[in-house]
Amino acid sequence: MTQLSGPPPARSAAFPIAAELRDVSRVHGSGSAMVRALDGVSLAFPAGSWTAVMGPSGSGKSTLLHCAAGLERVTGGQVFLAGQEITGAPDAVLTRLRRKKIGFVFQSFNLMGSLTAEQNVALPLKLAGVRVPRGDVRAVLEAVGLGDRLRHRPRELSGGQQQRVAIARAMVTRPAVLFADEPTGALDSASARTVLSLLRRMVDEEGQAIAMVTHDPAAAARADTVVFLSDGRLVDRLDRPTAAQVAERLARLEAAPC
Amino acid sequence: MLSLSFSTFRDRWRLFAGAIVAVALGVALVQSSLLVMVSTDRAPVPPGASGRVREQIREGYAGAATLLGMTVMLSVFLTVFIVGSTFAFTVAQRRRDLALLRLVGGGRGQLVLLLLAEALLLGLAGTALGAAAGVPATWAQARLLIALGFLPDGFAPVLWDSGAAVASACVGIAVSLAGVLAASRRAAKVRPLDALRDTGASARVMTPMRWLSGVSGLALTVLMVALAQSAELLGAMMLALGISITGGVALSALSPLVVPLAGRALGVALRRSTLGEIAQANLRDGVRRSASTAAPLIVLVALLVGLAGTLGSLALMSGEEQRRLVRGDLVVESPGAAAERIAAVPGVAAASPEVTVPISVTARHHEEGRSWRRTHYSGIVAVDPPAYRRAHKVRLLAGSFDRLRGRTIALGPGMAAEGVRVGSTVTARVGGHAVRLKVVAAFVPTLENYSETFLVPRDVVPAPVRAGGEAQTVVRVAPGTEPAQVRERVRAAGLGRARTVAQWADARTAEQQRGNLGILAVLMGMAGGYAVVAVINAVVIAGTERRAEFAAARVAGMSRPQVVRAALVESWAVTAIGLVLGCAVAGGALSGMLAASLRGAGRPLVAVPWTLLAAVTVGAFAVTGATSVWTTFSATRPRPVTLLTTRE
Repeated sequence: MTQLSGPPPARSAAFPIAAELRDVSRVHGSGSAMVRALDGVSLAFPAGSWTAVMGPSGSGKSTLLHCAAGLERVTGGQVFLAGQEITGAPDAVLTRLRRKKIGFVFQSFNLMGSLTAEQNVALPLKLAGVRVPRGDVRAVLEAVGLGDRLRHRPRELSGGQQQRVAIARAMVTRPAVLFADEPTGALDSASARTVLSLLRRMVDEEGQAIAMVTHDPAAAARADTVVFLSDGRLVDRLDRPTAAQVAERLARLEAAPC
Repeated sequence: MLSLSFSTFRDRWRLFAGAIVAVALGVALVQSSLLVMVSTDRAPVPPGASGRVREQIREGYAGAATLLGMTVMLSVFLTVFIVGSTFAFTVAQRRRDLALLRLVGGGRGQLVLLLLAEALLLGLAGTALGAAAGVPATWAQARLLIALGFLPDGFAPVLWDSGAAVASACVGIAVSLAGVLAASRRAAKVRPLDALRDTGASARVMTPMRWLSGVSGLALTVLMVALAQSAELLGAMMLALGISITGGVALSALSPLVVPLAGRALGVALRRSTLGEIAQANLRDGVRRSASTAAPLIVLVALLVGLAGTLGSLALMSGEEQRRLVRGDLVVESPGAAAERIAAVPGVAAASPEVTVPISVTARHHEEGRSWRRTHYSGIVAVDPPAYRRAHKVRLLAGSFDRLRGRTIALGPGMAAEGVRVGSTVTARVGGHAVRLKVVAAFVPTLENYSETFLVPRDVVPAPVRAGGEAQTVVRVAPGTEPAQVRERVRAAGLGRARTVAQWADARTAEQQRGNLGILAVLMGMAGGYAVVAVINAVVIAGTERRAEFAAARVAGMSRPQVVRAALVESWAVTAIGLVLGCAVAGGALSGMLAASLRGAGRPLVAVPWTLLAAVTVGAFAVTGATSVWTTFSATRPRPVTLLTTRE
């Protein structure tokens, strides 16, 4: 397969730290119903590195991802994205960032059902008002192995194929950071392997920064670093992990009394 | 953005079908109304027509123009309403898609643009259909207006006018864009994070705007019902019209609160069977769905039953009034020539011939500092003043009826509010001669629409002219004689048709009623058409929205017919609630009429339009039932598993 998206990385040089949380806390509700989803979390997502975020249900994984991506406002602390502080940024600024600097991939694919694969991939560029050369869109889809599915609608594709379209859509803008929320959660193991290899290649060959939330130790083992969250706090960290190590740490966390 | 709108539009045409039909209907009606108006403008009164015919045609045209104006306004309002609620629905349903657009970099403005572009496509499609439907609609509308007596027989409308086509196309597109505004504002508020939440806190159904319009409308309605209890008849009538409108709008705005509440009451009956229980739970849960089906029904029933009941009651009361104004036993309708001979029939104690004569009266009208001269042709009656006085209860606003002799004239009930002054002089043209008459008296207006305009002493009109008119003669029979006997003698002598005062008054009432109902039928038939579109629209949208829910029910062990039945029970329950709430509003509207009639006539004179109500009820159940069954059937066609596993 060819390179993922056009010319080689300038990203790692431009933003050595693609996204960063500094002492971030996020509180839901108030009074007795108050929940600390995040409690003083500091974490950086460097370029050319894949970080997996793990933890038991309700540990604040998703909230962490949403806050880092500027989708949720933080209650305390600072958030940086592509070298810019976005802690209290207005909607227009966040919209611009989403167009240019951030890519998203979800468990449930989230493609527009009425658009073809090709149209789905071109959508972010069109929204940014960029003229989209067809060749570019095709190249990105070919890079994820879907060169022959350009005109298909999401419902005509398998789950793995849909997820690859979603990745192509996320990559077409060449974002500083790719946020992935359980990207393999809805896939069979073969499709999951394909998708994970695709992500791995983007990190190694193009210096892409990836922040991924997952439940799956096998998926986390493909990352460079795994961080563990519990009750909204960072409690552990593994570099170059194996699936067995990850599973063991996770089991310990889940067994611990809360 | 336009290509995205286009693909959404193509993908979700079913959602938009109702709105397209509404726009098409609106465009067709606007176009046909404009064309009929253009035609009345271009079809001059035939030369050589008598003044009376000219006056009738002109009045018919004016009546037609009023009716057409109301038609256009009503259809524009209803189209905006349907397009608006369709888009409100699609925005709620497409929340995830819209959030996703925000997530991949769509700005708020772009979301608004997306919806505006969809509305534009919808408007164009509706306008194209409407322009084509406008041709038969114009023909049909002209036929209808001829049948109602507004337009002369043989009136042929222009079937195409580029000006009217352009104007109605503009209306179609403007109406679609106006309908989408509120929804696009709501769409712009969708947050990108909503795409990531599976259930996604769906938008609140009771928006602040809804609360405001619902609560203030309800307060206003309650106030009007209270006022109507002590209002005079005309006041009660105006209040009844107001109550029908504000009450319907208020309850439909509050329907997300009211419908589940009524559903709870209905629940006692439904909970006996399992399907009923499921239906009742859905009724409470799917608030937006139930409310949007019930809302158009509430408005329709409130308007239809409220207005028809009010006008019907008014006609009943005007019949009662006529009965009380006449002091006699029989009323004989005959040619003018025969009227004079009725007094000579054995058994007749007194007769008051009143001949509607073909003369004209030109009078000066004064109103708000302006004054103008106008010639009147219809409703001019020649009477024998002393006999008239004995046969009628004469109620005057001004002047004296005793002075009605010689070259004088009295203003009839139909002329009371026209600004002709007592003491002024009018010119009558009688058989080619001009006669100047002094206005000596003015009658109190009656409830009737087409009453006498002028009363002249019969000496003013020469006998040959009187003989050509139409007469009605109030007869009092001699003591000891049976009215039936006199009636038989009048008939035997070939003098005319005699009826009791009660029969005569009922006939007059029926005639009034016919005119009122004709106009009402046109307007309400149209509103009913829109309501049908709105209800079908709501049921179809709700049905397609619920594919996954139906699939889950089937996986849980319900058969397909059971799912269809549960959905049917649910939509019939909503229909029943809509009908009952609409009737409640109409009841409030008619309560004022009831109070007024009890005070004025001492007995209840309220016409509840039972036939109409029955027709609406049967129609509503048939339409919602058929639509529900059809949508549930098509939504349950795929095997349940495929629906539960695929997301997009």
